[in-house]
Amino acid sequence: MKRWQMIKLGLILAIYCIVGCVGLAFVYNSTSKTIAQRQEADLQAGLREVFPKATGFTPTDKVKSTNPKVIFNAAYTADGPSGPLGIAVKVQGPSYGGDTTLLVGVSSDGTITGVKVLENKDTPGLGANAANATYYVDKATKTTFAGQFAGKKLTDAFEVKKDVIAITSATITSRSITNLVQIVGKAVSDALGIGGSSQGTPPVVPPTDIVRPSSRPVTSSVSGVSILETLVTTRDGVIVSVSAKATAKSYDGDVTVIVGVSVDETITGVQIVSCTDGLGNLIMTPAFAQQFAGKKAGTPLEVGTNVDAVSGATFSSKGATALVEATADALVKALAGGGL
Amino acid sequence: MKRLFGVFVNGLIVENPLFIIMIGLCSSMAVTTTVANGIGMGVALTFVLVMSELIISLFRNLIPDSIRMPIFLIVIAAFTTIMDLEMKAYFPVLSKSMGVFIPLVVVNCIVMGRVEAFSSKQPVLDSVFDGFGMGLGYTWVLIALAVVRELLGNGTLLGFQIMPLSFSPMIFFILPPGGFLVFALWMAVSNNVRKKLLAGRKPEPTEDSCCTLPENGSTEKA
Repeated sequence: MKRWQMIKLGLILAIYCIVGCVGLAFVYNSTSKTIAQRQEADLQAGLREVFPKATGFTPTDKVKSTNPKVIFNAAYTADGPSGPLGIAVKVQGPSYGGDTTLLVGVSSDGTITGVKVLENKDTPGLGANAANATYYVDKATKTTFAGQFAGKKLTDAFEVKKDVIAITSATITSRSITNLVQIVGKAVSDALGIGGSSQGTPPVVPPTDIVRPSSRPVTSSVSGVSILETLVTTRDGVIVSVSAKATAKSYDGDVTVIVGVSVDETITGVQIVSCTDGLGNLIMTPAFAQQFAGKKAGTPLEVGTNVDAVSGATFSSKGATALVEATADALVKALAGGGL
Repeated sequence: MKRLFGVFVNGLIVENPLFIIMIGLCSSMAVTTTVANGIGMGVALTFVLVMSELIISLFRNLIPDSIRMPIFLIVIAAFTTIMDLEMKAYFPVLSKSMGVFIPLVVVNCIVMGRVEAFSSKQPVLDSVFDGFGMGLGYTWVLIALAVVRELLGNGTLLGFQIMPLSFSPMIFFILPPGGFLVFALWMAVSNNVRKKLLAGRKPEPTEDSCCTLPENGSTEKA
């Protein structure tokens, strides 16, 4: 008796499920086309907002994101009356309360034409003001947070509280969005071959005569640090500096850096290649990497004493700093050991 | 008619879902940072609640008691998703302002709670009135919370600057701790009013045990 009761209940539940599913499938079928059209229209309207001068948009796959945490959902060439004007990218990347989605337009002359926040899940009333059309970071000129990027040159520093006005009490949101805009700007300028972007790689080794792979592999004595490749720079046959690309675990992802060290044991430059921590893309700002240049290799580098952390990404800053220190040490030892 | 009115009024203060039954609290904290959000969430919940109670009440004799919860879930989720799709397709403006609340409403315990406690046992018309009453009871609380939080925490109301520009917004009220404080204060006010309303009135004997509430709320929890 009991078993039949179970089967009967199961069947009743199944019938409700089937009716529900059929109903959903029917409604989905009848509405999906209209919804897709509306979304397309919304996207076009958004694109027009970030690229007011364009007459049309064609999808392109020229722009690629180099950061695994930052996803370029779509990219469009903005067409003008006489040829393409630039590229607009729909970008998705981490912010305070989850991923945020932006539309960023970059013109071929290296200027941000506009930024629109499509989706932001940060704290309502604070970070969410990034998407608020009536929240002005500059009340006098009625400039919204995203609005301030319009007309900004890619050569600018893109530093919150310096050349970017932050949203009050939402510094992390401000930084994340600024960073995404900058990443898109760099990707577009790379794709279009626009020169003069200060966001380009800072020189890791001074421009000298010959750069070649090292004759023997360099290893670090610090556990967890793996040196991927080592390059040696020579002038007139004499080694002047070495650089190495190294990777290690960071807060909840990996961090990869390139470190250059000269024969006088000074760090010539550092580039943060990638950081897959939750908010790790924050440390990819050039200002963070630049502070290592000129420091003595072999001296302890410590966040808080002689290295400034990127706020909101203290753990990633520490991870990257430790890796820079370990790599620089390894390079100094390799230089002393000779045979490179 | 008087009975229906009684069912409707019940949800406003005497059996307010947030202050007395104390379910659905998480959404009330999350969305009440601005008045516009509070209104949006309140309207969305009222709509879904009324329709869910209507449908469940219609089907109440066809739902076996031992599997009622999964069936409620299926019916409510399917119905809400259908409404969400229809709204997206044919009322895009409405969908833009309400769309973010729909996923929050589907899993809202007030909907499940009222369907379970009321409409699965009551006639259709009563259920609809209960849905309206509970929805309105939820909405006024959200708006009351949001008015205080937005005014003190942001200096605005519905996005318009109310406080003088020299007023420095107290961010505390936008953050969850401030939300709890405002919630508690409003709750004290509401319970005081409730006590006065109930004073001298004998608790009506109801057929259903679910609807007689102890002084400090029922056993259901959010």
